[in-house]
Amino acid sequence: MMPDMTQHGKAEIEQWTSEQNVPVIMFDRVSKTYGRINALNSVSLGISGGVTGILGMNGAGKSTLFKLMMGKVKPSSGAIRLFGIDPWKNPAPYSRVGFVPEHEKMYDWMTAFDFIVTFSRLHGLTRKDAEKEATRVLTFVSLADVMHKRIGQFSKGMRQRVKIAHALVNDPELIILDEPLQGCDPLARTTIMNVIKELGAMGRTVLVSSHILNEIERITEQIVILHQGRVLALGNSHAIREMLDQHPHKISLECDDPRELAKSVIKINEVTGMSFADEGRLLIETNHLGEVHKQLPKTIIESGRKVTSIDNPNDDLQSILMYLTGGST
Amino acid sequence: MSNRMDTIWSQLDRKSTAIAEFTLRQYRTRISTWVVMVASVVALLLILLFYIEAMNTEIEAIDNDGDSFDTDGDGYPNGQEKLLGTNPDSPEDFPVGVEPDPPEKWINEDDIDWDSLEEGTNYVGVDDDGDCWEYYDTSSQRDTNDNGIECDIIVNVDSLNSTVSVISDSGVDEDPDEDKYGKEAGHRAFILGIGKFGIVYLLGIFLPLFLATGLIREEMSEGTIHYMLAKPITRGEVLLYRMLGYIGITWPFILAVCLGLCLITGFTGPNDSLFRWQDVTVWMSIAWAAMLVSLVYGTIFCGFGIIWKNGVILAIIFAAWELGMAFVTILTGGDSSIRYMSVIGWGMIIVDAGAAVGWPDNWQLIEIGLWGGGHGEENWLGEVAFIPLPGAEPLSVFSGSPNLGVSNWLAFVISTIVLIFQGIMAWFIGQTIFKGKEVN
Repeated sequence: MMPDMTQHGKAEIEQWTSEQNVPVIMFDRVSKTYGRINALNSVSLGISGGVTGILGMNGAGKSTLFKLMMGKVKPSSGAIRLFGIDPWKNPAPYSRVGFVPEHEKMYDWMTAFDFIVTFSRLHGLTRKDAEKEATRVLTFVSLADVMHKRIGQFSKGMRQRVKIAHALVNDPELIILDEPLQGCDPLARTTIMNVIKELGAMGRTVLVSSHILNEIERITEQIVILHQGRVLALGNSHAIREMLDQHPHKISLECDDPRELAKSVIKINEVTGMSFADEGRLLIETNHLGEVHKQLPKTIIESGRKVTSIDNPNDDLQSILMYLTGGST
Repeated sequence: MSNRMDTIWSQLDRKSTAIAEFTLRQYRTRISTWVVMVASVVALLLILLFYIEAMNTEIEAIDNDGDSFDTDGDGYPNGQEKLLGTNPDSPEDFPVGVEPDPPEKWINEDDIDWDSLEEGTNYVGVDDDGDCWEYYDTSSQRDTNDNGIECDIIVNVDSLNSTVSVISDSGVDEDPDEDKYGKEAGHRAFILGIGKFGIVYLLGIFLPLFLATGLIREEMSEGTIHYMLAKPITRGEVLLYRMLGYIGITWPFILAVCLGLCLITGFTGPNDSLFRWQDVTVWMSIAWAAMLVSLVYGTIFCGFGIIWKNGVILAIIFAAWELGMAFVTILTGGDSSIRYMSVIGWGMIIVDAGAAVGWPDNWQLIEIGLWGGGHGEENWLGEVAFIPLPGAEPLSVFSGSPNLGVSNWLAFVISTIVLIFQGIMAWFIGQTIFKGKEVN
C-alpha cells in the first residue's frame, strides 16, 4: 500500500494541559553503570511538551535513557520521575505513556489489529473499546486497509508504523520512540516523520532518538545531544547550528566547470580556501557557514555556471561531536 | 441480569484475560508445544500397549494346594480322593465306580472369599471344593483355627496399621484363581504406576520444562517483553497472567490424557460390568494431582527462567531432586516424611487418597495377594515364606497410604492446599525476582 504523504491524523486533537506542576520527565543527576561501563553519567533533564530529539552515536546512552524512563533498568544513582512517579517502582505512569521499542522482533504470527487489541487491553480497556482504539490508531498511521494481515508479512516501515500505532492507544501524553526511522525506506521515513510532527502539534510530549542529525532536524528543533553518557548540548537546533557556523566547514559543489566557478566564489569574503577534488567538484573552506550559504546562490547565478549539487560533507553528527568535544571523539 | 453479567465479565475480561489469551495463542503457534504433547501421548500409548497385552494374556494357573496331583498314582487326583473320602496317599484306596476327574478341575478350585471385611475379627471363607468338610472326620480336625466354627477363616483387620492377619482351617480358600487376582492387581498396579510416575511426575515435570521455562525468558531474550512491560501493569501480574495462559493449555491436556486412559483401561480392564466405574475416582485424583504439580513446577521453572537465561539447567537439577523424591515416596509407600520436602510427595498423597476412596479394599487385596500363593519351601532357618500371587508385588509397590494421620478426604484436601500454597510461594518469589530484574 502507499503511505499517505500528506499524513493527517484522524485522532481527536486535544490540547494537553498538565494538571500538576511536575515535568513529564525529570532526570536528576542520573547515572547508570553496567559493570565498569558508564552508560549514563550524571544526566539531569526536564522535558515537558513538544517534540524533543535525542541525538547520539551508537552507545551514547540513548537507549539506556529510554530504558530508565520505562522502568526497564534501575538507575545506579540519581532520581527519575515520570509524571512525578518513580517508574522503576511503579508502572502506573505507563497508562499515560506510549513506548516504541527499538527491537525489531515482533509477534509475527499476529495480525496488526490483534496485536494492538491485545496490548490495548493491558491499559484496562474492554475488548470492545480496545477494538475501537486499534482501528483508530491504525487509521492514524494509515494502515487501516492492511490491519487484518499478519505482521510477519509487513515491510520494515509498516512494522515500524504498527509499533507506533500500538504506542498511541489510550491517547498517551508522552510518546517515546527509540530509533523509529532506522532501516525504513525514504517513503516510510516521511510518513513516520509526519506522524511524529502531528503528535507534537497535538500537544503531546514526544521523544525521538536517532543518530542522524538531518532526520531529527526535519522533525524538531528541540534537541538533546548525548555523548558518552553525558548531555553534551541541549536546546534549539538553530542555536547549535550557530555555534557550528563558527567552526571550519567544507562545502562541496558539483558543477560543469569548477575552475570557472572558483573564480567567482573566491570573491566571497568568508571563504578561506578552495580545492579541486575529483572531476567536476569544488571544495570550499569557510569558518562562517551561514554567511557563505547566504551569498552562494547569488554568486553561482552571476558566474553563469551550472551547479548540480551543494553538499556539506562533514555537517553530520560525527563532525558536530568532533567540534563540541574539541576533537576528542 | 444478562446485562449485569456482561458488565461483570467485561470488567474481568481485561488485563488478565488479554495476557492469558495471548499466551494461549502464542503456544498454539509454537511447534514445541505440539511436539511435547504428541510425544507424551505416543509414550503413554506405548506403555498402554503393554497393559492391553497383559490384560489379554491368561495368567498361568498354579495348583497352590497340590489337589490336581495324583500322589499315589491310582489315576484319581488328590482333590477328588479327598472329597470322596479315600486316601490320596494309598494306591489301593481309590473311589470305586467313579470316573477319575481331569487334573485341571482341581486347580483354582477353592478361591479366596473375603469380601466386605470389617474392622476387627471376621469369620469368613467358604470351602468351595469340599475337601475340608469331607476329608476330615472330626470337628476338631475341621476347626484347626479353634474359633468354634468349622471350615472357615479368621481374618483380623487392623486398618490403623494397615495389616491383616489370617488364620485358616485346613483346606479352606487354599487354591485361589491366579488369573482373576493377577488381572485385578495388575490393572490397579498399572493405573497407580502410570498415574503416579507417568502422569503426575513425568508429565507434570516435562510439560512445564518445555512450556513454562521460557514463558518470560523467551520474551526477555527476544526483546518482545518490552511491549508488555511498557503498559500500566506490574511484573507480578504479567507473571501471574502468563501462568494462567500456561494452565489454559496444560490442564485441558492433562484432563484429556487422563480421560482417554480412564476410558481405555475402564473398558479393557477386568470387570464384572461393562465399565470399571470404581476407577474413575482414582483417575480423577491422578488428573488433579498432575494439574497441581504441573502448576507448581511451571511457576518454579518460569522463575528459574527469569533468574538466569539458562534457567532450564536449574529446572533439570530441580527435576532430578523431584525424581529422587518420587522414588522415595513410591518405594516407602507413604512412610517417609522427607517427601514433605517436595512437590511430588504431596501430589502422590492426592493419588493415594483417591485410590483409597475409589478402591477401599485395595490394601486388603495386597495383603491377600502377598501370602495367597501358599507356603513356599522352608529356608535353612526353618522359616516358611509365603508365595505372593501374580500382580501382588507390583500393586504393593505402587500403592501407598496417604499416611497423614487423617481421613482420606482430609488428606486429599490438605495436600491440595499445600500444593496451592507452594504455587503461590513460587509465584511470589518469582515476581519479586522479576521486579528486581533489569530488562535490556
